[in-house]
Amino acid sequence: MTQPSPLTDIRRDLVALLPRLRRFALTLTGSAAEADDLVREAAGRAIQKSHHWKGEGRLESWLFSMIRSTFTDEAKKRRRAEGNAADDASSAENARQSNALACLPDGLASVFLLADVEGFAYAEAAAILGIQPDLFATRLCAARLSLAAIAAETNERRA
Amino acid sequence: MTIPQPSPLELRLSAFADVQTSDEERHDIEELLVNDPQARSLHDALKRGADLGRRAFDDMLKEPVPLDLVRTIKNAPLPRRAIRLPQAPRPTLSFKPSGLQAIAACALVFVLGGGIGYMIGGNGAAAQFSAFSMPGVSSRDWLDDIIAHYRLYARQTNHLAEIPAERPADILEWLTTNTGVGFRIPDLSDSGLTFEGARLFAAGGTPVGQLLYRRTDGDGDGDVIAISFTKIRPEGNRSIEEIRNDTSLVSWATPLATYMVVGPSSAADLDDIAAKAAGLI
Repeated sequence: MTQPSPLTDIRRDLVALLPRLRRFALTLTGSAAEADDLVREAAGRAIQKSHHWKGEGRLESWLFSMIRSTFTDEAKKRRRAEGNAADDASSAENARQSNALACLPDGLASVFLLADVEGFAYAEAAAILGIQPDLFATRLCAARLSLAAIAAETNERRA
Repeated sequence: MTIPQPSPLELRLSAFADVQTSDEERHDIEELLVNDPQARSLHDALKRGADLGRRAFDDMLKEPVPLDLVRTIKNAPLPRRAIRLPQAPRPTLSFKPSGLQAIAACALVFVLGGGIGYMIGGNGAAAQFSAFSMPGVSSRDWLDDIIAHYRLYARQTNHLAEIPAERPADILEWLTTNTGVGFRIPDLSDSGLTFEGARLFAAGGTPVGQLLYRRTDGDGDGDVIAISFTKIRPEGNRSIEEIRNDTSLVSWATPLATYMVVGPSSAADLDDIAAKAAGLI
């Protein structure tokens, strides 16, 4: 009977990485509450599949991939129950955080986070998001341009 | 909100910032940044945008993490793992057939035994073996033995007879006792045969008495003629005359015994000798 030692317990790693996981989840969902739900769901999956994690590469990469796939699955479920989509969209829009990242078009914040903040290479980050590296590079450029525009706008206001 | 499509220059500058370009491309962009103010301005704008985004994301890490989320993860059950519990030593194999199994096993053994017995019974070689081992089944084996013994001892000069002719009482007692056939020693001097003695051997599994004569005159001087007799054999009630290579053979039967005269195939009077012996023996 071999219980995982505290050092190898993935729950401990998950708690340590929780702020970064929530941040990534927030780039996908756009709302803090949904991000927390997404992280909770993905963390449960990661714990149940922890035996698949062989310790190769960065644990964050595996967890980010888990969050993204969980988000995709949930999005599909939501699309199936499309009845009151307009209401949900409006509520989600209301819950969006008010900082600069909220002004980014959908999908750009997560690209920017993985490349410029988490430091993943294009190929690995593209794999996490399930897109082609070329598309990732394009979106990353678009994210930087959008943020540059926000920065310029902010400077003009201050001036 | 639609995603703006960057220009090729913007894409090149963005990749340049992440060192995702080749050395040649990197060299070109560095030149462009020196010579082209617009490119330099765009590059600075991209850097400012990236800095803004990094600061915003860094600020997000300062936000407190919901305690219930932490608690949920900490208390989440770990997946069950396949555990090999220490097992008791494997019980030794015990042979405890049920009644049905025992009956089935008996039936199987019966069928197998019957099948094997049937195959053996139908086998020609086995039949030959049984005939060989059981007296009176095959006259051919019996005759072969008679002839073999004749050939063996006919060449003997000093050990032709087991009991010499000088002891006729011993011969009568010895052969009668062992063969169960009453007989007399025929005097065949008229045919030029001198009695040399007698032997006892087995042929076809039964004892055979043999009286040995040597021709003392005529063409075949020195030839050995043997008169053999044994208890009546089932197939021995018919007369046989045949020549096997260098040996000739004449047999006849009485209700009590089967007799046989054996001599060289060159002996033309063998049937005459047999006729005389049959009347005298």
